[in-house]
Amino acid sequence: MSVLFILIAASLAIALLFLLAFIWSVKSGQYEDDYTPSVRILFDETGKSKPVNKTKSI
Amino acid sequence: MPDTIYTIVNAHSTCYHCGENCEEGSLVFDDKPFCCSGCKTVYELLGENNLNCYYDLNERPGTSQKNNYDSAKFNWLDDTESVKKLIQFNDGKVAVATFFVPTVHCSSCIYLLENIYKIQPAISKSQVNFLRKEVRITFRTDEISLRKVVELMVKLGYEPQLNLVDLEKAKTTISTQKYYLKIGVAFFCFGNIMLLSFPEYLGLNSLSEHPMHKFFGYANFLLALPVLFYSAREFFVSAFAALRQRSLNMDIPIVLGMIAMFIRSSVDIFFQQGAGYMDTLASLTLLMLVGRLFQNKTYATLSFERDYKSYFPVSVSVRQNGIEQTIPLSKLAVGNKIIVRNQELIPADAILLKGQAMIDYSFVTGESNPVPKEIGEKVYAGGRQIGSAIEMEIMKDVSHSYLTQLWNDDVFKNKEEASSAELANKMSRYFTPIVILIAIAAGVYWFPTDIHRAMNAFTAVLIITCPCALALSTPFTLGNVIRILGRHGIYLKNTFVIEKLTKIKTIIFDKTGTITNKRDLNVNYKGAALSDMELVYIASLTYHSSHPLSKKIFNYLNGIKIIQTKDFLEIHGKGIEGWIDDHHIKVGSVDFAGGTDMVDDSTASTVHINIDELYKGYYEVKNEYRAGLNELMNGLKKDYELYILSGDNDNEKQYLQELIAPDHLLFNQQPIDKLTFIKEMQNAHHQVMMIGDGLNDAGALMQSDVGIVISDDTNNFSPACDGIIDARKFERIQSLMQYSKTAMRIIKASYTISLLYNLIGIYFAVQGTMSPLVAAVLMPISSVTIISFSSLVSYLFGRRYDFQ
Amino acid sequence: MIVEQFKYDNRWVRNFAFASFIWGFVGMLVGLIIALQLIFPQLNFVEWTTFGRLRPLHTNAVIFAFVGNGLFMGIYYSLQRLLKTRMWSDKLSAIHFWGWQLIIVSAAITLPLGITAGKEYAELEWPIDIAITLIWVVFGINMFATILVRRERHLYVAIWFYIATWITVAMLHIVNSLEIPVTLFKSYSLYAGVQDALVQWWYGHNAVAFFLTTPYLGMMYYFLPKAAGRPVYSYRLSIIHFWALIFLYIWAGPHHLLYTALPDWAQSLGTVFSIMLIAPSWGGMINGLLTLRGAWDKVREDPILKFMVVAVTAYGMATFEGPMLSIKSVNAISHYTDWTIAHVHIGALGWNGFLTFGVLYWLIPRLYKTNLFSIKLANTHFWLGTLGILFYAVPLYWAGFTQSFMWKQFTPEGILKYPNFLETVNAIKPMYMLRAVGGLLYLTGTTVGIYNLFKTAAQGTFQAEEDAEAPALEKEYTPHSNEGWHRVIERRPVQFLIASLIMVAIGGAVELIPTFLIESNVPSIASVKPYTPLELQGRDIYIREGCYNCHSQMIRPFRSETERYGEYSKAGEFVYDHPFQFGSKRTGPDLQREGGKYPDTWHYNHMLEPSSMSPGSIMPSYPHIIDHDLDLSSMEAKIRAMQTLGVPYPKGYAQQARADVDKQATQIQDNLAKGGVKVSKNKEIIALIAYLQRLGTDIKGAPKAAAVK
Repeated sequence: MSVLFILIAASLAIALLFLLAFIWSVKSGQYEDDYTPSVRILFDETGKSKPVNKTKSI
Repeated sequence: MPDTIYTIVNAHSTCYHCGENCEEGSLVFDDKPFCCSGCKTVYELLGENNLNCYYDLNERPGTSQKNNYDSAKFNWLDDTESVKKLIQFNDGKVAVATFFVPTVHCSSCIYLLENIYKIQPAISKSQVNFLRKEVRITFRTDEISLRKVVELMVKLGYEPQLNLVDLEKAKTTISTQKYYLKIGVAFFCFGNIMLLSFPEYLGLNSLSEHPMHKFFGYANFLLALPVLFYSAREFFVSAFAALRQRSLNMDIPIVLGMIAMFIRSSVDIFFQQGAGYMDTLASLTLLMLVGRLFQNKTYATLSFERDYKSYFPVSVSVRQNGIEQTIPLSKLAVGNKIIVRNQELIPADAILLKGQAMIDYSFVTGESNPVPKEIGEKVYAGGRQIGSAIEMEIMKDVSHSYLTQLWNDDVFKNKEEASSAELANKMSRYFTPIVILIAIAAGVYWFPTDIHRAMNAFTAVLIITCPCALALSTPFTLGNVIRILGRHGIYLKNTFVIEKLTKIKTIIFDKTGTITNKRDLNVNYKGAALSDMELVYIASLTYHSSHPLSKKIFNYLNGIKIIQTKDFLEIHGKGIEGWIDDHHIKVGSVDFAGGTDMVDDSTASTVHINIDELYKGYYEVKNEYRAGLNELMNGLKKDYELYILSGDNDNEKQYLQELIAPDHLLFNQQPIDKLTFIKEMQNAHHQVMMIGDGLNDAGALMQSDVGIVISDDTNNFSPACDGIIDARKFERIQSLMQYSKTAMRIIKASYTISLLYNLIGIYFAVQGTMSPLVAAVLMPISSVTIISFSSLVSYLFGRRYDFQ
Repeated sequence: MIVEQFKYDNRWVRNFAFASFIWGFVGMLVGLIIALQLIFPQLNFVEWTTFGRLRPLHTNAVIFAFVGNGLFMGIYYSLQRLLKTRMWSDKLSAIHFWGWQLIIVSAAITLPLGITAGKEYAELEWPIDIAITLIWVVFGINMFATILVRRERHLYVAIWFYIATWITVAMLHIVNSLEIPVTLFKSYSLYAGVQDALVQWWYGHNAVAFFLTTPYLGMMYYFLPKAAGRPVYSYRLSIIHFWALIFLYIWAGPHHLLYTALPDWAQSLGTVFSIMLIAPSWGGMINGLLTLRGAWDKVREDPILKFMVVAVTAYGMATFEGPMLSIKSVNAISHYTDWTIAHVHIGALGWNGFLTFGVLYWLIPRLYKTNLFSIKLANTHFWLGTLGILFYAVPLYWAGFTQSFMWKQFTPEGILKYPNFLETVNAIKPMYMLRAVGGLLYLTGTTVGIYNLFKTAAQGTFQAEEDAEAPALEKEYTPHSNEGWHRVIERRPVQFLIASLIMVAIGGAVELIPTFLIESNVPSIASVKPYTPLELQGRDIYIREGCYNCHSQMIRPFRSETERYGEYSKAGEFVYDHPFQFGSKRTGPDLQREGGKYPDTWHYNHMLEPSSMSPGSIMPSYPHIIDHDLDLSSMEAKIRAMQTLGVPYPKGYAQQARADVDKQATQIQDNLAKGGVKVSKNKEIIALIAYLQRLGTDIKGAPKAAAVK
């Protein structure tokens, strides 16, 4: 089962890579705000002018 | 109130921008109704900049623009020193400032604030943190000043709350970041150690000659290093700190266990004696870190650390040699002549020189009816001017003023807090020596027969008794309790407050604003009956006034149609008048409304009505005691000694005597008196809880063992305290006390469970033959049992006390 | 720092979208054809369209062409908008698109031709493997460079899923595809037998995770909130579930090899990690479904949301079923049956298919600045598809149970109740019929969908360039605390990534592989000998025809199996199998102990016309094997390749091999002649019979085939 060496080494290397990615993401403040980004993605294509909804007059 | 009026209400339109009721005949633009020109202006501004999406994301997301701000309010932002303090970063071209904006409430707010650069190109970037209600703005300093940025935000309805204390405070994000990192590293190592330990659990033993066996062992050793030296570091730090102070805390046996695990495992791995306990080490570290994170619940928009500086302006307008200029508050000196504008706070005790002063002391006393002051009268710091600008001369330093001298008391100086779990540490005092004794005994017992086994037994006892489960019960029980309470409007500073709550014997209440209500109304009309139309007139007139009494009456008449008022006039200290449908309406003091002899209830404010020069009658506006006060007092009486300390005179004594014994009622209490009173109680070995609301309670709140603030609007500042209770949840104080006690009982129960697990573990350990699998199964199971037990039971009891 | 004007590139999004549904149609059509072939074996027509060759075409088309293009579409669209920047290089986008289509076309040509590496879901031969690697790197450069030049500092959770997809698939593909080329169209896997199986399923499982799941979860986190117009239920949960998924998924692979010759602990490892996986998987599903809380009225109206809801639900079902199937006792029943096929199709038709269509219905009108051509047709598609899934899955679950129980049933006397495998096949034929109906419904739905999307495109005008504006990414103005080495990583994530990957690849390949693999291929069973050259040729024909698609070579240690097939399989028996041929499905019986069971003539007649030997058999007939001459041109190269891989042929054996081929072929020719079959000894059938008669005989005691001296 020596192929396991390769699989474990490869998996550990990838896991380590992800760990570094995780450290980077926390350190760079990616997770300081864990709500606003989810709202922000809803905006991106609405930035352009759109016809304003007509509401009933008084 | 007659029912017929409600039929008109439904026909009302609400402002397209802010959703407030529109006056009949109010502005219509783009076929949309607006309540005021401010709202319409914002709408137009957004339209010009293609930001109409603001209104598509949410209906009527704006804030009312009726109260036009006084531009002079931000004069102090021209002062370079103040600006420097507000700005976090400045390289001469670009500056970054973060603002706390309480009005942020929906996705439209995020949208607009983050697209603010479309309106003002000198702003290069703005980013909202919704949960913290913060906006971080980057702007080019050569094109725009900070003041202009703030004014733009105010114009859009997003007025930032500016005070230096909040900005100077170090952000907590760094510490949570550290926790995330530690947990991430521990989780990574734990996962991979578990993976590599699996072969061991499942029978690679038979292949122990196999190179893979060694490989797994070494990999486990390497993976355990970051757990021990990085993730678990704080346990070591805490344990050593305790040892240096010659005391025992819960971290000491934990650290002992960890060291034992690590050394024993390393020996096992390098001398090929077994697989070691690295998996257990990693899993326990992970669990305990999660526990600490869970315990450190914080409320992003609440602060429990504020002093008067949070309330006071950053700088003040001073008139020197006839020229008005802005100076920082710290440079304000006795003798300075200052100008205080509408809605501004008076920073120091001063004498009124010019203008019509109407001082709202609600910050200080909780009493919201403004008091008129005559020229030459003394005005105390902390009052808020309502109406036009006034000029005053400073009599005392800011820090030696009537209110602020409170902070000169010693209690504010030694801020060092003994914030540790007492119960756990008490446990540890017995636990640690016993464990070490058992370990030594086991070692000594085997020593003559088998040295190897003696070592195994010794280390195994230390490993298996590592009191992680014990250490987890407190954070998970209390963390859960604090979350459940938080969902019900009771916000505690930290978990230690719960522990302190259980020891309280005496509860002291402030009166005004604490047991009385600022929001709910007790308004009665007395006098000649008013017709439906007359009610409409009164509502329409009071609608225009920002005087608190006008507002109360307007709210009392809630829902009535509003029609246009002409020639509205507000006469300082007297009342308001105006013409509606050719009727002349006057609302104000007795004299103003032409009232005659009146039986005046001294506890109530009165507002008198005159329509077409005919006196009609008056509204009586009373302080209302909070709902459920009687039940609360009667409930608490059984277990606690209750006191009421009131800053007011004793004219409500009659009523309050029904609640508690007369000798427990104290009136005319100055802030410093309250503080002293609590000190004396404590000197008599009472554990005191203070419940207050305003700055005048700040000293008492600080001195008491637990200080709780009742707040009508948790977005507002509240003085330094241990907990903030939403005023609507006032009657839940008793449940809070009971729930706290239950929480400590839950912790004790889980201690028992975890000790039972320890006994089982010791049974294996003393024999010197404990396999790593036993540890790997037993210890996480005990931890998980404790976590589920404490979380579940604290949740169930929460339900029992109606915290669902 | 002035607001920057730029344009989103919609061209490649559109192209990937069209590629996705056109290839999707092709893949599903092939699926329908092979479903029908299982009922009507006559439909196998010619050699290029036999089931064994079309089934890999079907799986590859659906996974890499339909889902692959679908995920590129999703990534190219959402990445630009999430990062507020255009894709880094139009040129790389073009190379990526056309390169990927070329790979698909080459797969569509080579697979029917029988050019295959013989490992499930990794059938493509080595030149295409290299092309895939190159194009994947192009895609990676384009994606990471885009991330690097972004205008939005925060990396939305979807992007993390995309990053994880890229890194992991790159590693999986490289490790699993390590092979020794023999000719341009033939290679041997570097690993043998159980080792090969382990690598293959480690790959296979993670391919499901990181090709079919993570990119689609990323798309779910982008397109579902977009379509619903509300933010995801809990962004925090999405972050936690991402990291948990990443740290766990990679270890679940061995659950595909339960009860096989894999060591016990490795099997249990797979089981445990698979069961743990349910937590992060359901985290994703719950997050997706709860995003729609309070908007269910919208779901009732909007076909896009309907598609997405069913997709997320299917994901939840599949990820619940997955851990369940990893439990040994459940796996004992489900493995080798149609249960697995049903499970996979819940994922493919439900999760991948429906999410792709949901996204397409949302996306195409936006790309063409128009409205969807017909909501009614979209609803029709939805119902046809949903019915299709039900008609597909339910009969196959039934078929799975039925067949498995029949296999295991004993009479009171203790003998197998259904000793004839064919009985268990005939019992489930009606279910196969229903499954084909399901497939037809689904395909009809897809056709309606494609019509609808084309009509939508036709009525609008395509916006290849979409105007956008955003402020440039500001410098990080907050003063940082003292930082050391990781600052470097922070500044150069891409370089670091690539460097690490290269290190991993080189470290793994150069150092570990030769040392450990070849050494460990030394047989632990003395009687196990390498294949003779003729058997090796026969084995390559076996692989070429895709026999592993219907026949396993792995007898599990159950009485029902040892009774039916013979002694259970041992790890040591497979040390010369490059690649392994365990198989994962028994449409026909296991062949591990086939050697010596029947005379050579039986095999000859069976290959010519299966139903002549087994009436009612659904196996295709293989007249072309009897017609074709055996191609020995690469035989020496094959022997040498095997020697490189550690197969102990004597030194210089390649030169001597032809003589051995001739000898053994003559012997078989004689055997056949004795049975009244006259056939030339240089036909392919001779080699195939040699291989089949060798199967499992090494430890049978009766040395039927001559081993190499």
